[in-house]
Amino acid sequence: MSWFSSRGSGPRKEQGRVQTVVEPDVHRSLALAALFEEIRKRKMTVLDLGSTVGSNVEFLSQFGCKLYIEDLYAALSSRVTGGEDDLAGPEFFAEFLNVPEDTRFDVILAWDLFNYLQRKELANFAEQLRRYSRPGTLVLSLISYHKTIPAQPYRFKIKDEQHLVYERRTPTDRPSPRFAPAEVTSLLKGFRVDRSFLLQHGIQEYLLVRE
Amino acid sequence: MVWKKSDDPPVHNPEPTPANPPRPVAAAAPAPSPAPSSSAPETPRRTDRSANATIGPSIFIKGDLSGEEDLLIEGRVEGKVDLKQNNVTVGKNGRVKADIFSRVVTVEGEVDGNVFAREQAILRQSGAIRGNITAPRVILEDGSRFKGSIDMEPPKENAGGSSYSRQQDRQQDRDRSSEQREQNRPEAVGAKASAG
Repeated sequence: MSWFSSRGSGPRKEQGRVQTVVEPDVHRSLALAALFEEIRKRKMTVLDLGSTVGSNVEFLSQFGCKLYIEDLYAALSSRVTGGEDDLAGPEFFAEFLNVPEDTRFDVILAWDLFNYLQRKELANFAEQLRRYSRPGTLVLSLISYHKTIPAQPYRFKIKDEQHLVYERRTPTDRPSPRFAPAEVTSLLKGFRVDRSFLLQHGIQEYLLVRE
Repeated sequence: MVWKKSDDPPVHNPEPTPANPPRPVAAAAPAPSPAPSSSAPETPRRTDRSANATIGPSIFIKGDLSGEEDLLIEGRVEGKVDLKQNNVTVGKNGRVKADIFSRVVTVEGEVDGNVFAREQAILRQSGAIRGNITAPRVILEDGSRFKGSIDMEPPKENAGGSSYSRQQDRQQDRDRSSEQREQNRPEAVGAKASAG
């Protein structure tokens, strides 16, 4: 069965040199707190675009969510590319997010993954997200304002409703796209910023809402 | 049954010779062999009972599997695995392309299909599931690979027999989104909290 790429957890463009690094950091997450205010109101359908994290599943289970886990970065990593400029197009994202047609997510946990998409790719992905969301759908996204970001996305673990554990997966870095706030909304068409929080460690948390 | 052997070793006097010495001998001889034959017979029996039916690594089964004992799959199975009252383990070598209906499902190998567990679904670090999991409690170990959805809605009490699977299927893929709007009950929440 080849539906799981062995390269899935490897860093994009530099597979094979992965190792767990440094102690994970714990940061307060204001967007997460705001998100849970909504989640606890009713049973929600949640899309987690990060890697499989058992403790997150367990944490979310107390809210009775229906949870979809689709590891975006693993999919991007295992994509056969034709070159540096070969961006992930709408077909890629359509194949990646291959859920039943009538699925509508209430919450999308995008974590820091938008930082790992080119601008065009982010616009393409937003189109797919729009398709499976409904007005009111919330998107949690963490945009970095550092010049560099880890070569692989963090593994985020929900510690509690207000704290996230940032688990770095690789010691190497790559340039950060540093999306400006206006850019975020222009690329994520159909979503508007509901709340955003600039945190001390250089991360801007966004809670976007589908219009 | 197991304990018959332990009865054998006392070599001496099969005939009743009550007056004779065997005390020290009897104490010495059976000591190394399974000691408390009267108080412990439960332990080995339990081991026997928990022995799974096993589908070995070289075996390939295509079709429906059903039964009333726990099952360990180390081979390949395609079709359907239906052991609602028992436990199913897909071992590290196991490759299952089927929906699995079981009490507790543990996956250490690969499953391409939906998993319906009445009590619990466990995806071990070495395991991979591509499909949907429906279980009141789900444990995904870090490093495991999973693609699909997880529904921790407890299975309906009346959903026995073969209708269970269809009901779950429908719930999963079609009716869920409409049901959500109706189910604004936070009450379900507490029941689903899984232990850490």
